[in-house]
Amino acid sequence: MKQVLIIRYAEIWLKGKNRGFFERAFETNLTRAIKDFSCSLVKQSGRYLVCDFAEYETEAIIDKLKKVFGAHTISLAYETDSDMDSIFEAAKLICKNEGTFKVESHRGDKKYPLTSVEISKKLGGMILSQFYALKVDVHNPDFTVRVDIREHGKALVFGNYIEGANGMPVGTAGKGLLLLSGGIDSPVAGYMMAKRGMKIDCLHFHSYPYTNMQAKEKVVDLAKILSEYTCGTHLYTVSVTHIQEAIHEKCKPQLMITLLRRFMYRIAERHALRMGAQCLITGESLGQVASQTIEGMTSSNSVVEQLPVLRPLVGFDKNEIIDKSVKMGAYETSILPFEDCCTVFLPDFPAIRPKLDEIMREEAKLDVEGLITEAFASIEKIKI
Amino acid sequence: MIYLDNAATTKPSETAFRKAEEFALRQFYNPSALYQAGHVLQSELKKARSALLCKVADENSFEWVFTSCGTEADNQAVFSFAKRGNAVTTAGEHSAISAAFSELKNRGTVETRIAPLQKDGRVDVEKLLSLVDDKTSFVSVMHVNNELGSINDINAIAKRVKAKNPRVIFHSDGVQAYGKLPFRLAKEIDLYSVSAHKIGGLKGVGGLIKRKSLVLPPYLIGGGQESGRRSGTENVFGIKQFEYSAEEKFERIKEDYARLKEYNSLLWSGLDKDIFVRLSTDDGLPYILSVSALGLRGEILLHMLEDKGVIVGTGSACSSNAKTRYSKVVLACGYDEKTADGVLRISFSNATTKEEVEDTIRIMNETANELKRRMHS
Repeated sequence: MKQVLIIRYAEIWLKGKNRGFFERAFETNLTRAIKDFSCSLVKQSGRYLVCDFAEYETEAIIDKLKKVFGAHTISLAYETDSDMDSIFEAAKLICKNEGTFKVESHRGDKKYPLTSVEISKKLGGMILSQFYALKVDVHNPDFTVRVDIREHGKALVFGNYIEGANGMPVGTAGKGLLLLSGGIDSPVAGYMMAKRGMKIDCLHFHSYPYTNMQAKEKVVDLAKILSEYTCGTHLYTVSVTHIQEAIHEKCKPQLMITLLRRFMYRIAERHALRMGAQCLITGESLGQVASQTIEGMTSSNSVVEQLPVLRPLVGFDKNEIIDKSVKMGAYETSILPFEDCCTVFLPDFPAIRPKLDEIMREEAKLDVEGLITEAFASIEKIKI
Repeated sequence: MIYLDNAATTKPSETAFRKAEEFALRQFYNPSALYQAGHVLQSELKKARSALLCKVADENSFEWVFTSCGTEADNQAVFSFAKRGNAVTTAGEHSAISAAFSELKNRGTVETRIAPLQKDGRVDVEKLLSLVDDKTSFVSVMHVNNELGSINDINAIAKRVKAKNPRVIFHSDGVQAYGKLPFRLAKEIDLYSVSAHKIGGLKGVGGLIKRKSLVLPPYLIGGGQESGRRSGTENVFGIKQFEYSAEEKFERIKEDYARLKEYNSLLWSGLDKDIFVRLSTDDGLPYILSVSALGLRGEILLHMLEDKGVIVGTGSACSSNAKTRYSKVVLACGYDEKTADGVLRISFSNATTKEEVEDTIRIMNETANELKRRMHS
């Protein structure tokens, strides 16, 4: 019997006249997700079907679909003729041999001779006549057989709903530049914004030769993991080696991180504007480390002139972020022990509440423009 | 490009490669096959076994078993013989031994005992002997330390260990010694591990030399190759290439030793003593010179040297995990973390030239001073 995957969409339902825009983006993203498989995508009203796939690839296709934002639920269904005998044949493949069950029916085709309640009753009776150990329990069943009568004499019969990624289709809410470190937080921050439909490009700061190739490889791997949710991404890397050295040489050691972050934000904003990104995204969470205090954020924000800085994790606990990182499949890579920003320059006691006037005084010792121009010369684009 | 990380691996001998090529492309048959072509390969393997063995041991007392690498040989020795009572090794071992000992400890089948090192990287023999008792079943002492080049006098140590407990099985990891250190195995040594790619061979071939009368249980079970001790179709090409490269290497072993001793001291004498301290000692294997750039991090220097065309090794890594950051061996010699953080290992091969050594001195001094300047340390 032919199997299909039903993909139902999430918040797109709420859209009115511009629903088409969201549907087109969703369809593009679904097509991209399954492009490596031999199968076809069919649009039906309010849903998409993936058809004609090889059975052994089912799990792999579901895994891909689970990463497409905009999908509410996914079901693996049997597609049959809509006569009750055919529906029963499909239902048999879903039924367990014992326990309790119920039947839920839905008629997409309102011309079908039976009502939804009649379909459920009839199919329930047919199941009971053949599966003696089963009982009906409409309130708390062990499993549910679901029937969806479609147009053109077809029906879909399936068991459960697989939770989709929810959110909005990527590509419907502009583009952001994610400051991607090698840690746990920033990939999750990218995930959160992509979930609301934002397209993401990534920018990584390294300090080779103080950091190594493995650290860079790790960031490439994280960008790859993220790109499955963001429908692709571009990764740009910039060396901040000379900036770190200059700060180390001329400024107070406890301001190293504060000053470095201001450089990073400046570089990020300029790069974002060049790339047509409309905001910066960071993985900061209030109070998580010394530089992520409100004073620290104020200090970094004050150098960003035109774009908003979005911090989707600002109110999350570390554990909540870790849970999301595990769920998106980035955690194992994030915790690999390669330094992304060299610790040789890190102060023992970084400033927790840096004062803006002190920061400005220290920064005045540096050739800010020159260092930024030099850093830009090191920019590299890595294909993900 | 100046390649000075030969303790990690060496450039394969091209002459040996060309000579062995026919065993990859034309004589591709299975050596266990009953037809003539298979039989021919069987005798080629026999030739290789004997040629490789006789370089370091008496063929009447020892045998050679091919393995896929040095690690496999080490593991086979440990897991075949450390089965009861206690097993003793040193704090200077390569992870093929030290991790195998940790595994023994986890399994809880044998008590593991680790003998400390002296400052020069050699095992403290008296302390090692004090760990050996009548319950000791297995002792493993590496021949040449891969990080410092320190040489343990394994023949003498084996003799003393056996005098204390004659039933001990004595193993030595000879991966850094074979083909570099002029040496012959004493009869007290039961097992000795060797690897091809440290002397111009290819990765994927190693050997475990065993005392003839010692019964070595099979490590891989299957078609019964290597007299049943290590099943698996033989890597004839790799083995023949190893044989030919070992022939080349052993032919000049004393010459190379003397020349590299000269290069080793030349390099050390040229290095800036305001930055570098030497960890290797005069009586170590001249193929390895281990130094520490005090106050600088080894891996950062490694990357900067790499950018200037000099490839060396390091004992430390830019790891945020303190457990893997510093070389355990350097710490075990009694050096502090600052010294361990700055370790660079320069290791030569017979192909190293005097010009390369001279260039390296200049580049290392320049680079270390540049880094010092950039870090304002």
